[in-house]
Amino acid sequence: MMGNPNVGKSALFNRLTGADAVVSNYPGTTVDYTAGKLIEGRTIYEIIDIPGTYSLEPHDAAEKVAVLLLEEHRGDVVMIVLDATKIERGLYLAFEIMEQEYPCIIALNMTDVAHDKQIKVNAPEIQRLLGIPVVETTAISGEGVKHLAGAIRKAQVADMDAIGRRLEESEQNPEETTLTPGCGNCRRCG
Amino acid sequence: MLKTLSTLEFGETGRVTEIRESRHELNCMGLRTGKKLKMITRQPIKGPVVVLIDEVEIAMGLDIAAQVLVDIE
Repeated sequence: MMGNPNVGKSALFNRLTGADAVVSNYPGTTVDYTAGKLIEGRTIYEIIDIPGTYSLEPHDAAEKVAVLLLEEHRGDVVMIVLDATKIERGLYLAFEIMEQEYPCIIALNMTDVAHDKQIKVNAPEIQRLLGIPVVETTAISGEGVKHLAGAIRKAQVADMDAIGRRLEESEQNPEETTLTPGCGNCRRCG
Repeated sequence: MLKTLSTLEFGETGRVTEIRESRHELNCMGLRTGKKLKMITRQPIKGPVVVLIDEVEIAMGLDIAAQVLVDIE
């Protein structure tokens, strides 16, 4: 599990594994990694909760731990955790990880906060653009966590060229991606 | 009018035109050229300088803020 500091990685980790990693409301709580097990269907996954980092160029000891762990687990699935209220900031790290050809899935966490702040997130569209599974979650209530566990086996190595092409296309036809207020994005209206 | 980020007044808004140093550190936190920002607080001596970009607050040292050029509206 990788992501920016304070996006809820540890809270999500606890939900997935039943562990009790220390969770707080400020960034930089996790300074070392915690590992736990998740049984999903007939598969046992080892989940590693990694300190938050803004990029793969470490600036402090905790970030160094994060980058070293990622390098040690080359080829493993990376669950990229994004704060749904700060998606753009999180995508910087997400792209750095995706460029290194790790199979990835994205957990769009804190959807409850995004909802409170009236930030509308079009998760299916992000999934379409990036070509990797995107699951909306709320770690504190547990919403979407089961769905997230099921999505691990669908992890994909992102095709950066295809992402570039899809982004160009959606910039040319922006009206397709706009949402009206109150739209649940069921796509039945079009 | 161009100003360095370290000299912006409280509440002033502008667009980032140039990041002279620490570009990577600032980019990965969401501060990039072309972005609109608003000054939240600027503490003397070493900072922190806190700006608002896309509803997200970003804090940095005064020395780093001095490397960012902003076009004031």
